[in-house]
Amino acid sequence: MSTSLAMTLDSYRRTITTVALVLIMLVFALSSARRAVWVDLYEFFLWMETTWFGVIGKTWGAAFAVVEAFHLLAMALLGGAVFVADFRLLGWCFSDVPAQEILDKAHKVFVVSLIVVLATGVFMACGVAGKIYWLPVFWYKMLALATGILFVFFIKRPLLRRDLNDINPRVIKLVAVTSILIWVTVAATGRWIGFAGS
Amino acid sequence: MNELLYNFAMWLDSQELSTLLHESYYMYNWVESTHVLTLMLCLGMLFLIDLRMLGLAFPNLPANSLAERLNMPMLIGFSIMVLTGLWLFYAVPVRNTQSVWFRFKMLLLIGAAINAFLFHKNLHSAAGSWAAEIKAPKNLQIGATLSLAFWILIVICGRFIAYDWFDCEYTEPGLAQFLSGCIDGQTVF
Repeated sequence: MSTSLAMTLDSYRRTITTVALVLIMLVFALSSARRAVWVDLYEFFLWMETTWFGVIGKTWGAAFAVVEAFHLLAMALLGGAVFVADFRLLGWCFSDVPAQEILDKAHKVFVVSLIVVLATGVFMACGVAGKIYWLPVFWYKMLALATGILFVFFIKRPLLRRDLNDINPRVIKLVAVTSILIWVTVAATGRWIGFAGS
Repeated sequence: MNELLYNFAMWLDSQELSTLLHESYYMYNWVESTHVLTLMLCLGMLFLIDLRMLGLAFPNLPANSLAERLNMPMLIGFSIMVLTGLWLFYAVPVRNTQSVWFRFKMLLLIGAAINAFLFHKNLHSAAGSWAAEIKAPKNLQIGATLSLAFWILIVICGRFIAYDWFDCEYTEPGLAQFLSGCIDGQTVF
C-alpha cells in the first residue's frame, strides 16, 4: 500500500513541488513574513528607479508608453499561443492535427512572447518602481506570473510530453482550463496595476 | 465637420448613462480591462495567422486551414473589443473625439479593415495551391506584414489615448489643435 502510494507520488514529483512552491509564495505574500523583508525590498525597488531603464522610463513618457504598447502586443501573442494550445487540448480546434504538433509549435511562440513580456515588463517596472511597490495588485500579478511560468515549465510541458493517450482526458482538460485561467489572471492583474496606480 | 463631431460628443456626454459609466470606478475599469484582455484572443489569433503567412509560426500546418480555423475566435474577440470600445468612447465622448491618437486609431482601423478584406480575397483566390509551403505567396505575405504593422500602430495609438500630451486644453493653437479638432471657446474636458 505504502509502496504504491510512494510510486504514485513519485510520478507527480514535479507537480507536487510546483504546487508546494506556489503555496509557499502565497503564504509569504499574505502573511507577516512579507512585512519582515518589506524594508529591504523597498531599497531594491528604489535602486531600480536609478537604473538606465528607470531613468528613461521616468524621463520620457513617450518611450514608456511605446514599451507599454509592446508589452501589450507581446501579451496578445502570448495569449494567442496559450489559447491555440489549450483549445486544442479541449478539443475545440485542430482536432484532426496531432495535439503534440500544435503544442510544440505554440510553445515556441509562447517562449518568444514571454521573453518580450518579461523584458518590457522589467523596463516598465523600473520606471515606476517606487509606486508599484506599494500596490498589492502588483504583487498579485507577480504571484500569478510566477505561478504561470512554474505551471508551464514544471507541470504542463513535462506532463504533455508524454503520450496523451496515456493521460486521463479529464486531467488534460483540467490542465488546459487552469492554463487559460492563470494567463488571463496575469493579464487582468497587469491591467489593474494601471488603475490602482492612477 | 469638427463642430459636428463636437456637438455629437457633447450630446452623448449630456446623457446620464455616459456620466454614470465614466464616474463608476469598477464599471469603467472592468469595461477597459475586458477591452484589453480580448486583445489576447483577437490579436493573438490574428498575429498567429500573420506569422504563419510569413513562415514564422506553425510552419508545418497548412496556412489557409490555420487561417480558417482561427478566424472564428478572432472575430469573437474582435466583436467584444468593438462593443467595449464603443462603451469606452461613450464614457468619455468629448475627450476621445478630440484626441489626436483616437483619430489616428480610427484611420488605422479603416486601413486594417481594407487590408483584411483584400487579404481574405487573395487567400480564397489562391486557396490550396501553396498551403503546404512554409511561406505564403508574396501578395499574402505583404498583406500579413501590413496587418501586423496596422495593429501594432493601433495598439500604440490606443495606449497613447490615455496620455494628455495633445489635449485641447494643454496645447497652443497650431498643428496639434488642428489634428485634434479643437474648437475655439469650447468647454474644456
